[in-house]
Amino acid sequence: MGRVNFRDIRREERLLGGKRIPVAVLPRLSRNAGVWSAARSLLRSMRLTLHYLVRPSTVATRQYPENRATLKFPERYRAVLRLVEEEGCHRCAAACRLCEKSCPNGSIKVISRMGAISGKVELDRYIWRQDSCTLCNACIQACPFGALEMRPDFENAVYDRRLLIYTLNRYAGPPASVLHKEENPEARRKMMEPRDRYGGPVPANGYFLPNVPPLGGAPGPDAAAMDPVAGKGEPA
Amino acid sequence: MSGSLLWMTTSAAQASPWAVKTLTDRAAEALPSSPWLTLAYLAGSLAALGALVSFLGMSLIYVERKLAAHFQCRLGPMRVGPHGLLQTVADSIKLLLKEDIVPERADRAMHLLAPFLSMSATVLALAVLPYSPSLQIADVNIGALYITAVGGLGVMGTLLAGWSSNNKWSLIGAMRAAAQIISYEVSATLALLVVVLFAGTLSLSGIVQSQAAGWWIWRAPGVGIVAFTIYLIASTAETNRTPFDIPEGESELTAGFHTEYSGLRFSFFFLAEFINVFVVSAMAATLFLGGWMPFRVGGLDGLNAVMGLLPPGGWFLLKTCGVVFLLMWSRWTFPRLRVDQLMRLEWKFLLPVGFVNLAAAALLVLWNLYFFP
Repeated sequence: MGRVNFRDIRREERLLGGKRIPVAVLPRLSRNAGVWSAARSLLRSMRLTLHYLVRPSTVATRQYPENRATLKFPERYRAVLRLVEEEGCHRCAAACRLCEKSCPNGSIKVISRMGAISGKVELDRYIWRQDSCTLCNACIQACPFGALEMRPDFENAVYDRRLLIYTLNRYAGPPASVLHKEENPEARRKMMEPRDRYGGPVPANGYFLPNVPPLGGAPGPDAAAMDPVAGKGEPA
Repeated sequence: MSGSLLWMTTSAAQASPWAVKTLTDRAAEALPSSPWLTLAYLAGSLAALGALVSFLGMSLIYVERKLAAHFQCRLGPMRVGPHGLLQTVADSIKLLLKEDIVPERADRAMHLLAPFLSMSATVLALAVLPYSPSLQIADVNIGALYITAVGGLGVMGTLLAGWSSNNKWSLIGAMRAAAQIISYEVSATLALLVVVLFAGTLSLSGIVQSQAAGWWIWRAPGVGIVAFTIYLIASTAETNRTPFDIPEGESELTAGFHTEYSGLRFSFFFLAEFINVFVVSAMAATLFLGGWMPFRVGGLDGLNAVMGLLPPGGWFLLKTCGVVFLLMWSRWTFPRLRVDQLMRLEWKFLLPVGFVNLAAAALLVLWNLYFFP
């Protein structure tokens, strides 16, 4: 009803307002597009809304937070960035910064250091800005070692936005591939230097946000060296 | 004319055991004996009107939101009170506490006056509706004409609001509203006149009593249904409801004529709209569905006894709620009409159909071609 065949549209010239204007002339509405078919279609649409009214199973709203126990999200739902952990060890092999470069708005900062024991470049701090991250997944696709993943844990609201910039890795050191070759747990622990969540040079400590005092207490041990303004930038 | 009226009253008295006694009748009766009782009746009527307005406003808005939600596969208010029952209370308190804004270059006196005009038109209409044989506030003997006239008063509020807001979109909304309302008043009146022809009286309680033998929607063969449909369509347009809500045009004109209103005076417009819905539904129920008359079939005494268990006030409420549900159902189903489509519908379609319907009704009445004349 009401559908016009493209081929039926004619081009005509009509005298409108004293000028000859080319117009497109559509065919008249067929008998199928009259009052009664309109009334019937109105009644059909009313039947559809009644169908939704009398069936509570068609309601799409879920009552959160009462349904937290049974809440299920799809596995690929993106809410928070994590480093993939293999038995407590991350997979960031070279601190290559591919993820930092692929991030469209600079929500990742990778700070690397020279490994004392292994002699290779290692991950020192992996700082992620949850307040600016768009959850676009580019970092996960960029990482050649598969060290990153997105988890569907969405309950991340905080009252202080400084809590949204934090370190993702729990230790600074070589990745799982190197650590798992080391059988001795004592030697393994020597290679892993623990990292806290909110230490670090990023504005979480208040250094770069004006009028924002540091988050409770002294800055982290590596703060002064890593401060890009006051210090000399990150060590190679 | 008076002879036929006498005939009408006697047959009505035989047919219906309910005698209508309005509150103003009681007040008038009490006047010679104790003026205090008269004053009490009148004050009670005013209080009842106020209570009705607030209660109706709150429940209709809540029902509208819940129905709208369920028609759209969602839940509606669920948090404030069990299943959101106190939502409208919370909304009313919020509206009362809001800042009252009058735009700087607006016409201040008219801006302040407009909501009261809308509200008073609605409340005036509420006063003559026949809720039940003993619960009518005033039975004007030109009831139907009175309702039409008072409905026209509501347009003044809209026009004043749009003009005084000093806002071109409010003005456009108000002009559209005025054009729409005065056009659709014609069709609504024509549909109403069909019932008046059959009932032989303009008084609303007289119309209800004339339906003792059957409701006009089917007792007037053919013309009853057509008049009912026309009345519903015209009333939807009268109350600015979708698909005729271009004056509010929530997605086009912000809020149309009541854009510049906030707080208590906005709530007047909002309340007036919902109570208008109640008024036109009550009118449709009164004119076509028998008002407070229960549903009775001639021979089936058992059925009639069961139907008589619900008091007449309950029947009125049931029918009005049914029509309100119908109006809300169509609101949340149909898309909005453009203003030119709206005007075309009225002047080129509804009006001619209404005239033909009225002529046919006149012929039916003249030749007594309806059931139980």
